[in-house]
Amino acid sequence: MIEEVLASIIFPGAIFILAISLFYEWIDRKLYARLQNRVGPHLAGPFGILQPAADFIKLLSKEDIVPEAADRFLFTLTPIMASTLILLACMFLPIAGPKGIISFDGDLIVVVALLSIYTIIVYLAGEGSNNRFASIGATRAALQLIGYEIPLTLAILSVAISAGSLSLSGIIQAQQERGLWFIAGPQLIGFAIFLIASQAEMERIPFDIPEAEQEIVAGWEVEYTGRRLALFRLSKDLELFLLSGLGATLFLGGSAGPIIPGLEPLLHTIYFIVKSVVMLVIFTIIRTIFARLRIDQMVSFSWKWLMPFAIILIILSEVIA
Amino acid sequence: MSFEVPIGPQHPIHVEPLMLRLKVEGELIVDVDVDVSYLHRGIEKGLEVRPYIQGLYLAERICGICNCAHSLCYCLNVEQLLGKEAPPRAKYLRVIVEELSRIHSHLLWLGHYFHTLGFETLFMYFWRDRERVMDMLELITGNRVTTAYNTIGGVRRDLTAEMESKLRKALEYLEERMRYYEKVVDNESTILARTQGVGILKPDEAIKLGTVGPHLRASGVKHDVRYDDPYSGHDEIPFNVVTYDSCDCYGRVKVRMGEVLESINMINYALDHLPSGDYRLKIPPLFKAPEGESLARVEAPRGELVHYSISTGGTSPYRYKVRTPTLANLLSVVHMLKSRGDYEVYIADVPPILGGIDPCICCTARVIITDEARKTRRITTLSELERYSRERRGRRR
Repeated sequence: MIEEVLASIIFPGAIFILAISLFYEWIDRKLYARLQNRVGPHLAGPFGILQPAADFIKLLSKEDIVPEAADRFLFTLTPIMASTLILLACMFLPIAGPKGIISFDGDLIVVVALLSIYTIIVYLAGEGSNNRFASIGATRAALQLIGYEIPLTLAILSVAISAGSLSLSGIIQAQQERGLWFIAGPQLIGFAIFLIASQAEMERIPFDIPEAEQEIVAGWEVEYTGRRLALFRLSKDLELFLLSGLGATLFLGGSAGPIIPGLEPLLHTIYFIVKSVVMLVIFTIIRTIFARLRIDQMVSFSWKWLMPFAIILIILSEVIA
Repeated sequence: MSFEVPIGPQHPIHVEPLMLRLKVEGELIVDVDVDVSYLHRGIEKGLEVRPYIQGLYLAERICGICNCAHSLCYCLNVEQLLGKEAPPRAKYLRVIVEELSRIHSHLLWLGHYFHTLGFETLFMYFWRDRERVMDMLELITGNRVTTAYNTIGGVRRDLTAEMESKLRKALEYLEERMRYYEKVVDNESTILARTQGVGILKPDEAIKLGTVGPHLRASGVKHDVRYDDPYSGHDEIPFNVVTYDSCDCYGRVKVRMGEVLESINMINYALDHLPSGDYRLKIPPLFKAPEGESLARVEAPRGELVHYSISTGGTSPYRYKVRTPTLANLLSVVHMLKSRGDYEVYIADVPPILGGIDPCICCTARVIITDEARKTRRITTLSELERYSRERRGRRR
C-alpha cells in the first residue's frame, strides 16, 4: 500500500513526471536554439538546465490579474483543470516497468479522451477570458481540433488493432513478442500521422495557429498572467512529455528492452527516456523547419491528406493483423 | 456578425505604433481603418530652424534603418541648392555605403518577414548574416546603425585597401548565403502556402495607389529612382532593376532577395572601378544657401524617398518637406486588406500583407489639425493644397 502511494507521488509518479517534463522543455528549447544558431538557455544551472524550473517559479510569484470582463469561474478553473488532466494522462504511461501507475484494459482510450478534453479546456479558457484575441484563438483551437483529432485517434487505434489490445501495457507486450517495434511495417504511416497530429495537438509550429503571436498576440492565453499562466505553461510541458512518451510507447516499444535482473525499474526508465527523447527531437526538428500555416490551410490539409491516409492505415492494420 | 479587432497601436508584429482597426466576420476581414498619427516628431519644423550642417544630423535620424538614404537625400538636396556636386570618388563611396545599408535593410526585412510568418529559424539565420553587414558598415563608416557617412559635398571618410579586402570577403559570404536562402524560399511549401496569392496588387492598381519601391516592383512595374533618375553615379554602374510579376507577397520576398544579390554586384563593381581623387569638397560649416528651391529623390531600401526644400537665402531652409516611402505604400495596404468577391483576406494574412510594404511608421506620422467642434466644411482646391504643403507653419523669419 505504502509503496503504491510513494510510486504515484514520487517515482514514477507526479514529482518525477513534473521534473522530467521541465527537463524535456529544456531539451526542446536548447535544441531549438542550437538549430537556429542561438545559445539558448544557459544561465540557470549547468547549460541552463534549471531554466524551465526558474521560469515556472518566477511566473508563480508574478502578479495575478483577473480581468473585470472575464468569467471568474472559468478563469480560475481552466488552468487547474488543464494541468491536472494532462498529469493524470501521464500517469498511464508505462515508465518504470511494463505497466503504468494506473493501468487497466482500455486505458489507451482514456488517454485519447483526456487529450481531447484538454483542447476543450483550452477553448473554455479562451472564451472565458472575454478578450477579442483570446476568443479568436479559442475558436481556432476548436477548429484545429476538428482537423487533427480524428486522424490522431485513428493512428493510435490502428496500433491497438495491430497489437490486439486496447491497453498500453498490452501494446508494449505485443511489440516484445513480435520482436519488432510497430514502427516497422504499415504503422510507419501511423507514425507520420501521429507526429503531424501531435504537433497540432501541442500547438507548435507549423500548427501554432491558436496562439499565433504575430497575428493574435498570444491567442487564447493572452489574458492569463502569474500562476494561471504558470499552470498553462506546465500543462504544455506535461503535454510534450505525454505525447513523446505516448509516441515512444506506441511505435518504439516504450519501456521494453534487454533487462538485467535486479535493475528492472532503472533500465525500463532509461529505455523509456531514451526513446521518448528521440520522439522529442523529431518534434523539435519539425517545429524548426516550417512556417506557420493558416487555419483554413491546416483544416483542409488534415482532411485532404491525414484523413485518407489514416483510413487506409486502419484497413491495412485490419488486413495484416 | 462582425466585430472589430484592433491590430495596434501596440502589437507583436510591429514595434512601432500603427493602428489597424479590422472589421472581421469570423476570420475574414471586411473593412480596415488605418491610423498612423501616434508618433509625430516635428522633424520638418526642426530642420527649418537649424543651420544646414546641423540639419544633416537631424535628417539622418528620420529613420534608423534607412538613415543612409535620408542623409544622402538631404546632402543631394543641399548640394543642389548650392549648385555643387560631389567628386566622383565620393559618388562611388556613397553608392557602396548606400547599397550596403540596402542589404542590411533587406536582410532585416526578410528576417522579420519570416518571423511574421512564424518561421523563427529563418528569422534567426537572416539576422545572423545581417550582423556581418553591420560589421562592414562599422568598419567603413565608424558606426553600426546611424552611419553619419554622407556629408554635404561628399563623404566623411575614405575607403582604405584593408577595408576593401574585408568588404569583398563579407560580400562573398553573403552571396553564398543568399543563394542558399533563395533555394529555401523556392522550395519550402509552408512559405509558399502563406505567401503565394496573398495580398494581390495588380500593376494598374499599384500605380493608381501611388506605391513605390520593391513593393511596386513586385507588381511587375519597372520603377527605380536609381535607374530612372541616376543621382550618384548610377548611370556608370551597371545593374538590373529586379521585378517580379506575381503581384503577391511571394513576389515581394523574391524582389528583395534579388535586390540583395544585385546590390552585392553593384558594390563589387564600384570597388573595382573606384575613381581616385578627393572624397569631399571643402565647404565651410556655416554657409548661406542662395534663394531657390530644390528637390532630391533617392531610392531608399523601402522605395522612393523625396526631400524638397525652399531657401530664402538664409543659413537654414525656409521650408523642408520629406515624403517617405511608407506613407506612399500605406494606401495600398488598405486596398489589399479588404476582402472583395473571391479575393479573401484572413486575419492570418495581416502580418504578411502589412509586413510586405516594409512599414516604417516613425518616418510616416504627419499632423493635420482638423476643427471638429465647428463642423464647418471647406473645399480645398489643388492650388490651395500646393500652397498648404509649401507654406511654413508658424512665424516667418
